[in-house]
Amino acid sequence: MLLAGTVLVSSGCAVANSAGGDAGQADGRTLRVVLTQEPPTLEPCEASLTGTGVVVRSNITEPLVERDPASGELHPLLATAWKQTGPRTWSFDTRDGVTFQNGEPFTAEDAAFSIDRAVNSDLACNVEGYVFGDDDLEVEAVGDDRLTVTTAEPDPILPLRLSFVEIVPRTTDTEAKVRVPVGTGPYAVRSWQAGAAIDLNRYDDYWGKAPDFPRARYVWRSDASVRAAMIDKDEAEIAVALDPMEAEKDTTVAYPNNETTALRLDGREAPLDDLRVRRAIDLAVDRQGIVDALLGGLAEPAGQLVPPGVVGHSEEIEPTRQDVAKARALVAQAKADGVPTGRTITLVARNGMFAGVSETAEALQYQMERIGLNVRVRMADTATQLQYQLRPLPKNVGPIALLIMHGNQAGDAAFTASQYLLGDGPQSTFGTGDLDRRISDAGLLSGDRRQQAFADLLARQNEKVVQYTHIAHMSGLLGLSPSIRYEPNSATGDELRLAEVGQAEAVKH
Amino acid sequence: MIPFLRKRMVSSAVPLFCVVLGVFFLARMTGNPVDLYLPLSATAEQRAEFSAAQGFDLSIPAQLWNYLSDAVRLDFGTSLRTGQPATEMVLDAFPVTLQLAGVTMLLAITGAVLVGSLAAYRPNSPADRVASLLSMTAASIPDFWFAIMGVLVFGVSLGWLPTSGTLGGPEIWVLPVATLLIRPFGVLVQVVRGSMVSALSAPYVKIARSKGATPRRVIFGHALRNAVTPVLTVAGDLAVGLVNGAVIVETIFGWPGIGKLMIDSILQRDFAVLQAAVLLTAVTIFALNILVDVCHALADPRVRQAVPA
Repeated sequence: MLLAGTVLVSSGCAVANSAGGDAGQADGRTLRVVLTQEPPTLEPCEASLTGTGVVVRSNITEPLVERDPASGELHPLLATAWKQTGPRTWSFDTRDGVTFQNGEPFTAEDAAFSIDRAVNSDLACNVEGYVFGDDDLEVEAVGDDRLTVTTAEPDPILPLRLSFVEIVPRTTDTEAKVRVPVGTGPYAVRSWQAGAAIDLNRYDDYWGKAPDFPRARYVWRSDASVRAAMIDKDEAEIAVALDPMEAEKDTTVAYPNNETTALRLDGREAPLDDLRVRRAIDLAVDRQGIVDALLGGLAEPAGQLVPPGVVGHSEEIEPTRQDVAKARALVAQAKADGVPTGRTITLVARNGMFAGVSETAEALQYQMERIGLNVRVRMADTATQLQYQLRPLPKNVGPIALLIMHGNQAGDAAFTASQYLLGDGPQSTFGTGDLDRRISDAGLLSGDRRQQAFADLLARQNEKVVQYTHIAHMSGLLGLSPSIRYEPNSATGDELRLAEVGQAEAVKH
Repeated sequence: MIPFLRKRMVSSAVPLFCVVLGVFFLARMTGNPVDLYLPLSATAEQRAEFSAAQGFDLSIPAQLWNYLSDAVRLDFGTSLRTGQPATEMVLDAFPVTLQLAGVTMLLAITGAVLVGSLAAYRPNSPADRVASLLSMTAASIPDFWFAIMGVLVFGVSLGWLPTSGTLGGPEIWVLPVATLLIRPFGVLVQVVRGSMVSALSAPYVKIARSKGATPRRVIFGHALRNAVTPVLTVAGDLAVGLVNGAVIVETIFGWPGIGKLMIDSILQRDFAVLQAAVLLTAVTIFALNILVDVCHALADPRVRQAVPA
């Protein structure tokens, strides 16, 4: 008793006092968003991380160009126009009359600085590896309103890549990542109460249309049922990543989120080194059954790693139809030829990857065992799963079937192919010289020829390599309060543009 | 009392050192954090640079030496996840958990003493049976289930309480504290009841009763003083266990406490923060145990005498 009393008195009421006077009540002026977890950083060059990007991108900072999530087209943002001026060089005209939230004017020099900082520096920014690869860019400001960017190799999708670089003032630290960013976006960071909330204020000198809500507040709850309850209780206007069990509610909206689940088969290890066994696994999977029973009917059976809307997606590639008899025959054939089909395959999946992931892993285990294979499931945390997902791959762990979920937010299959399909891709276990050549050639094309080349190589993967048993194109679920209007799109999970959220007519005042 | 204290502190130092070593080695057995902090396609050179900057390229004994020599100066390094000093993050999170645990234990002990004593005063009476049933149920309910049901019933359906969060008035405390409270309360009621039943049947209580003492005087004036020792011991253990309960409560209700920080640090392989959090928690637990022993010794002189100087 004494102890408890002492502890209580001595610790004070730090939690309650941290409220800063804002109890977070519905006031029609603050847009309250509940995320799954606190962003580890708000550093703009880490905006390709989901947790960071959803707060930072297009809210606090902006890129030169932005991709329309529906059409895939690029629209002007901080750049008003751009053109290819040489085989490896692009020029961008920057927008006049834009200021940063610190009051400084935005110029081409800031854009050049930001690209240099994100891509060429030693900061090891996430955007560098994911979007630009190993090569540096030559960036030069030509006057106040134009810059040129030169790549090491011809790159027809450079403007798309640059849509991932958030522009920051040239006074930003180049030696270390920043905790609170400054940008040109419609909102500026007001405060970040570590562990509790991030508050944004509308930036009154924003160059574009002023957003409806003068303030925004982000909080985070890791439990999906609590996030859903916060919408029901009017404690938040937007809740991300709800569970399929909430799907029937009026306050829940499903949207395709560009994520695709698949089993990656390590073709270097027996019995997965046998094409017949990999094909058999592909034939064994009941995609529609998994979608209906385990994913709440919110996904679509998949036959390729990129969903509709991404350059390279092919409507002609059908998801493989389950054929257990044919799958069994293929495994039996392989066994008769001496392939050790009884060897235990470890199916590795990550906890929390999506709602119903462990049940999906168990269903896949059952379906693979039905055709004569021996499978055990290993559920892992993110760090452990990444050890299986990324090169260098772990040694002496036997045959691995890794359940992956790949999100192509860039809208071009080049990002998928270079990571997942290339023989030595960072997230690939094997490939073929033929597929590698096709990937390399397709990357140099543009327009319809690019679309066709990537569609062809995705089909080729399914015929000749079969590293992937595609399962489903996934959907996200968003909780939306009736007091607001917002239409989620395929980018919402990574880039929740607060300026696109309006007040519902009924509560407008 | 001083020799007793000295002896207890010395005997606590060895297990504390084992905890420090244990968390150091166990953390490193979980794998290299480089994959989590660098872009998926980071080059071998970038990985090597990152490892060198964080000291992960050193041999394990060298890393241990650096860790221990820095820890002596209370420098636990920098968080890989946030770039903040680990000590700062831990010291921010710790009071939040202490508050939650402090309020919980205060309520659990007070409630358990009242309910347990009343139940023990008339064993096998209807009041005793109800108290026993409720306390056993409370001790058996999974806390995560209780938390979610609390949110759905009292937050959403009835609308009496906020669903979660740390920003607001006293109402924000109700569900987290109730969730954390339910198990210690259930266990303590049973301990108090058992202890009080035997104390109330002791000869000195019978004498007090025969002299016409009121029930309140009998329970709180005579029996409780002698029944308190086992209650203190169990309460100390339960207080230690609250850190485990805090992980669930903090995760569900979004409280930025040490339990959530530890889980996040484990999942993110944020060794510096994990080591600092575990060390501070271990020190607190040992201090708590010593405090329980001191209270125990003050209440019962035989305990002091049993420990040679």
